[in-house]
Amino acid sequence: MSTAYPIPSDISPATVKNTASLLRIVALSLISGAAIASRLFAVINFESVIHEFDPWFNYRATRVLASKGFYEFWNWFDPTAWYPLGRVVGGTVYPGLMVTSGIIYNFLHALNLPVDIRNVCVMLAPGFSALTAWATYMFTKEMKDESAGLLAAAFIGIVPGYISRSVAGSYDNEAIAIFLLMFTFYCWIKALKQGSALFGTFAAVFYFYMVAAWGGYAFITNMIPLHALALLLMGRFSSRLYVAYTSWYAIGTLASMQVPFVGFQPVSTSEHMGALGVFGLLQIVAFAQLVRTHVSSQQFQRLLYGVVVAIGILGAFAFVFLTYKGKIAPWTGRFYSLWDTGYAKKYIPIIASVSEHQPTAWPSFFMDLQFLVFTFPAGVVLCFRELRDEHIFVILYSVVASYFAGVMVRLMLTLTPVVCVASAVALSTLLDTFIDPTEPPAEEDADDGVSANGSSSTAPPSQSASKKAKKAAASAPTKTALGDFVAATSSKGGSPRPKGIFGLDSRLVVVFNTLSMLVFFVFHCTWVTSNAYSSPSVVLASQNPDGSQHIIDDFREAYYWLRQNTPEDSVVMSWWDYGYQIAGMADRPTLVDNNTWNNTHIATVGKAMSSSEEVAYPILRKHDVDYVLVIFGGLIGYSGDDINKFLWMVRIAQGVWPDEIQEPNYFTPQGEYRIDDRASKTMKESLMYKMSYYRFNELFGGNPGVDRVRQQQVPKEGPTLDYLDEAFTSENWIVRIFQVKKEDPLGRDLKSANQFAQGKKRKRSKPAPRRRAIV
Amino acid sequence: MFSFRRVLFLAAGLASLVGAKSSTGNSVLVVVEPKRQDDFSIFYDGLRDQGYELTFRAPKDESPPVIEYDEAKFAHVVILASETKNFAKDITPQSLISLLDLETNLILGLSTKQTPLASLAPEFSLILPPPGTPLISYFPKREESPSLIPITPSKYDATEILNKDLPPVWFSGVPHAFGNNPLLVPILHAPAESFASEVDGGSADALVDAAEKGGEGLWAGSQLGIVTGFQALNGARVTWLGGVDLLTDELAQREVSNGVKSGNAQFARNVAAWTFKESLVLRIDKIEHHLVNATGPNEVYTTNDQLVYSIYISKYDPQKATWEPYSGIKDLQLEFTMLDPHIRSSLPPVPGAPGKYSTTFRAPDRHGVFKFVVDWKRKGWTYLHSSTTVPVVPPRHDGYPRFLSAAWPYYAGAISTSMAFFLFSAIWLAGEVQHGNKRAGKAGKTE
Repeated sequence: MSTAYPIPSDISPATVKNTASLLRIVALSLISGAAIASRLFAVINFESVIHEFDPWFNYRATRVLASKGFYEFWNWFDPTAWYPLGRVVGGTVYPGLMVTSGIIYNFLHALNLPVDIRNVCVMLAPGFSALTAWATYMFTKEMKDESAGLLAAAFIGIVPGYISRSVAGSYDNEAIAIFLLMFTFYCWIKALKQGSALFGTFAAVFYFYMVAAWGGYAFITNMIPLHALALLLMGRFSSRLYVAYTSWYAIGTLASMQVPFVGFQPVSTSEHMGALGVFGLLQIVAFAQLVRTHVSSQQFQRLLYGVVVAIGILGAFAFVFLTYKGKIAPWTGRFYSLWDTGYAKKYIPIIASVSEHQPTAWPSFFMDLQFLVFTFPAGVVLCFRELRDEHIFVILYSVVASYFAGVMVRLMLTLTPVVCVASAVALSTLLDTFIDPTEPPAEEDADDGVSANGSSSTAPPSQSASKKAKKAAASAPTKTALGDFVAATSSKGGSPRPKGIFGLDSRLVVVFNTLSMLVFFVFHCTWVTSNAYSSPSVVLASQNPDGSQHIIDDFREAYYWLRQNTPEDSVVMSWWDYGYQIAGMADRPTLVDNNTWNNTHIATVGKAMSSSEEVAYPILRKHDVDYVLVIFGGLIGYSGDDINKFLWMVRIAQGVWPDEIQEPNYFTPQGEYRIDDRASKTMKESLMYKMSYYRFNELFGGNPGVDRVRQQQVPKEGPTLDYLDEAFTSENWIVRIFQVKKEDPLGRDLKSANQFAQGKKRKRSKPAPRRRAIV
Repeated sequence: MFSFRRVLFLAAGLASLVGAKSSTGNSVLVVVEPKRQDDFSIFYDGLRDQGYELTFRAPKDESPPVIEYDEAKFAHVVILASETKNFAKDITPQSLISLLDLETNLILGLSTKQTPLASLAPEFSLILPPPGTPLISYFPKREESPSLIPITPSKYDATEILNKDLPPVWFSGVPHAFGNNPLLVPILHAPAESFASEVDGGSADALVDAAEKGGEGLWAGSQLGIVTGFQALNGARVTWLGGVDLLTDELAQREVSNGVKSGNAQFARNVAAWTFKESLVLRIDKIEHHLVNATGPNEVYTTNDQLVYSIYISKYDPQKATWEPYSGIKDLQLEFTMLDPHIRSSLPPVPGAPGKYSTTFRAPDRHGVFKFVVDWKRKGWTYLHSSTTVPVVPPRHDGYPRFLSAAWPYYAGAISTSMAFFLFSAIWLAGEVQHGNKRAGKAGKTE
C-alpha cells in the first residue's frame, strides 16, 4: 500500500477512536463558543437591549410570565393592546419562547443566581444557537459522518442567514425555533432509520415544543408527511416508516392541539390536511401489506390496489368537499402569498407591507450564505449518490426551502440549515477524498484506518465514517437513471480502473483552496454579523466625521418621555410597527401593534393618518387617543420613517373605505410621490404629512427645509395644526409626539376656536330664517 | 411642619366654605366704569348678602389682574362696563375665554355699541343685530320710551333658574338670536311684539321692507333672547345680558304697574345665583361597580357577568352651603361602551337610598376594554359626566363549564377507545404467551 504522505502505523485503533471523539467534543465546544461569541456584537457595540419590534412583545410577555406565573400568563388579557378591543394574549401567542425563558429564569433563581429577566431574554438566542449547532451536527451525522457533522455545526454556528435572527437581544420565536426544527428532523430521521417508536415520540415531543414556539411549525407539519409520501411513492414503504410516522403524527398532533393558539387547527385547516392524508394513506398501505402477507393471489392484490386507489381518491374528494362546505378552513392569505408573490400586494396589503414578506433579492442569498450557495447544490447531488431514506429528506427539504426562501425574505431562515447540511456533506466529501492518503493503485479494501489523525482542526476526518461511505458507495450502486448520472459524475462510480489522486501537490492545492474558502467564509460571516445584523434598530448608530461612533437614541428618548410625562392610561396612536415598542418601553395603551390580527382597526389608524384633521379628529376622539406618534426621518436621513410607509397606510385604509381614501389622490398629477410644493392637496392636508413637517421650516430659519430622505424641498408655507398640539420632538426629530386637543369648551370646532385665539374676527351672521318667504 | 400647614390650609378652606354661598368660591371681580359704579348698589348688596366678596376695577385699570401665574384670581367676574371700547390689556375676548377654561364664571353685558364683548358673543353662538339697534316694543302702552320694556317671564323662559311668579322685568338693551349651539341656556326671551331697530323707533320703511320679505332680516319676536346663559363643557357658566341697565338701582325700584315693584332685583339675584353656581349645581360623589352578590369592585370582569353599577349624586344647597344627596333625576342613563354602546340602560334612583342611582345588567358576550359612561346634559344643570374603564375578559381557562351533557358522545368515545386498547393489549400479550415462540417486543405491530 502506498500513501501520499507518511502516516504513523504504531497507534492502536482504540487510541485513534478515543482521540477522534475527544477532538470532536473539543471541536463542538469551540463551535458553540464561536456561535455564541459572534452573536454578541450587538451587546458589545450597543448594549444589552431587546431589539426591533416583536422581541419587545416577547420580552414584555416574558416579564408577565416570570412575575405572575404560568397560569396568569395563560389567562392574560392585555387591555392596553389594540385599545379598546384588547388582546387575549394567552390564546393568541406561541408561548414556547416565553416559557423557555421563564424556566431558565426560575432555574437560575433556584440556584441563587439573581439574573435579570432581560439578560435571560437577551442571551437566549445565542445560547440556543449553540444547541442548534449541536442539533445540526447530530442531523448531519446521520446523513454522512461525524466530520460532515462538525462542518455543518460550524457552518450553522456562524452563517449570517441564521445569525440575522438570533443575535443577542433578538428575542424572537425564531431564536429557539431553528434548534427545534433541526432536532425534530434529527429525531424523525433517527426514528425512520431505526423504526423506533421512542424516537418517533421524541420527534413528536419536540414537534410539540416547536408548535408552542413558532408559527413556522407548519413547515415540519408538511415536510415530514412530504418525506413519508415520497418514500411511499418510491416504493420504500416499510414498517420502520409506519412506526415512525404514526407515532410522530398521533402524539405530535394531539400534543400540538394543547397549545391554545393552535387549538383545533390541526384537524380543521388545510395546512394540516397533508399530514392527516399521509397518515390515512399509511394505514391503508400498511393494511394492504398485511393482507398481502396472508393472501397470495395476484388478482386479489390487484383488486386490493384498486381499493387503495379508490379510497385515496375518495379521501381527496372528501377533503375538497369539506373545504367547500367550510368544515375545513380554506387556505389563508399568508399561504396564498407563498405561491403567488403578487397576491398579497393585490389583496392583503397588510401582509405585503412587511418588508420581511417581500421576495428575496439575489444578493441577499450571497450575503446570508456566501460560498455555501455554491456548495449547496453539490451537497444535494451527493445525496443522490447513496439515496438512503434520509437523503431523500434532505433533497426534499432543500427543494422546498429553496423555493420558499425565494418567495419571502424571512423564510431564508428555514433554508439556511439545509444549506449548511448539504454544504457540509459536499465539503466533507471533498476533503475526505483529497486528504485520504491512499494512492490509486492501492487495493480498494486497504486498511486506511490510521490515515486520519493528521488533520486540521477545521475538518478532522473520521476514518470509520469515510470508510463506511466508501463502502456504501461501492457496494450499493443506485439503479435509477438519476443514480447512473450521479455515479457517472462521481469519481468512484464502481469502475474497475484505478482512479484517484496522485501525489501530494494536487492534494495540497485542493485542500488549500478549500481551507481558504472556509477562512474567507469566517471573515465574511464576522463582517456581516458585526455590520449588518447586529443593529438593535431601537438604537441607531452613525459615524462622526472623525470616524467615531455616534449613537442616535431617539426612540428610547421619546418612549421614555411618554412613560414619564403622560398619564398611565393615555392612549397612544401610531402606525402598527411601533405598537410593541410603545407597549414595551413607554408602557402605554396602543391602538394597533405588530400582532396584526385586526385589519379594520389598522385601517382605522391608516384612515386617521391619511385624512385631513377634521376627518381624523372624530376618529381620534372615539378611540380615546391622547397622543399620536410619528416617525420622521427627514432631518437626519432615516429612511424607514412614516412618510415612506405612508402609502401602505393609504392602501390599507382604502381597502376598508374605498370611497373616502383613494391612493391616486396622494400622488402628483404626474404620478409622483412628492412632499414638496407639487405634492397633491390631499397629501398636504393629510394628518401624517402635517405632523411630519409641522414647524420643519423653523429649523432652517424660515427658509424652506430640505427633506434628506426624499431629497426634496418642503413648501415654504409649513403645515398648521388645529386639532393637535406638538408635545414632544426627539433630538434628531425621528420621533414626534403630538397631543390630541380636547373638545373646545364652548362647543366650537377647534379650527375656528384656533382662529379666534389668533385674533381673527368671525364673519357677522344673521339669524337663521325660520319660515319660508311669502312671494 | 408639612402636616401643620396642611391643617392650616384645610381650616382656611373650611372657613371659606362656610362663608361662601357659591359652590366654587366667593371672590367676585366687578369691572365697571368708575362713574357708573354706584348705579348698581342693589345688585352689589344682593351679592354681599349672599356672602360674596366684591372687588371693583375700572376697565382700564391694570390691577388687580384677572389671571395671575396662569391661575384665575377670582371665582367669578362680572363685566358691567358694557359700553367700554378699550379695556386693559388683560381683558380681551381671548383672555375671557381662557378665564372660562379656568372655570371662572362670567356675567357679561352687551350694549348697542360695537365693543370687544360684542365681538366675543359670536363665539358663544349668539348672533347680535347691527350696532345701534336696541330692542323696541310699543306694547304694552306706557309712558316710558319704547326701548324700555317690561318683560314678563313666560313658560318658555328658564323656569328653573328664575323664581316662579316673578313680576315683570324692565329691560333696555339689545336682543340676540341663537345659533346652533346646544350649550346655550336661554334665560329670558324677548316679548313677541318686540323687534330690534334704530333708536328713533325705527322708520316705517324698514318695517315695511322687512315685512315684504316675510320677516326676513327683521330682528323680531319671541325667538330672540335678551338674557342668555351658557354652560361650557367644563362647567363654567356665562350669562350674557342684553343690557346692563337691567341690574341698575333705578330699574329695580321702578314700578311696573301701580304698587307693583319690578322684578329686576329678584331677577338679578336669580341670574347671579345660577351663574355663580349656587343653583342647579350637581356633582357625582362616587361611583360603584361590582358583581351581583359581591361588594368590592373587580379589576376586570368576565363576559356575561351580572354587573351592578351605582352612582351617587349630590345637589348643592346654597342656603346651608352643603351638598345634599339628590334623587330627583328621572332620566339618567348608563352606557356600557366599547367604541359603541353595547348596553344602554336607564339608571333609576334607588328608593330609600337618597342620591343613589343603580342598575343591574349582564355584561355583553364580547371581550374588550369597556367604559361605564354616564353622560347627562340638561339645559341649566351642571353636566354630569363619568367614565370608568374596566376590561371585560373572556373566561379563565378553568372558568368554562365542564362535563357538558352535550359532550357525552366524545366522553363515551374516549372511554371506549381506552377500554378497547386495554383489552386489545391484554389479549395480545396473553396470546403471546400461548404461542410462545413469537417476538416479545412492542405490542400492536404487524409485519
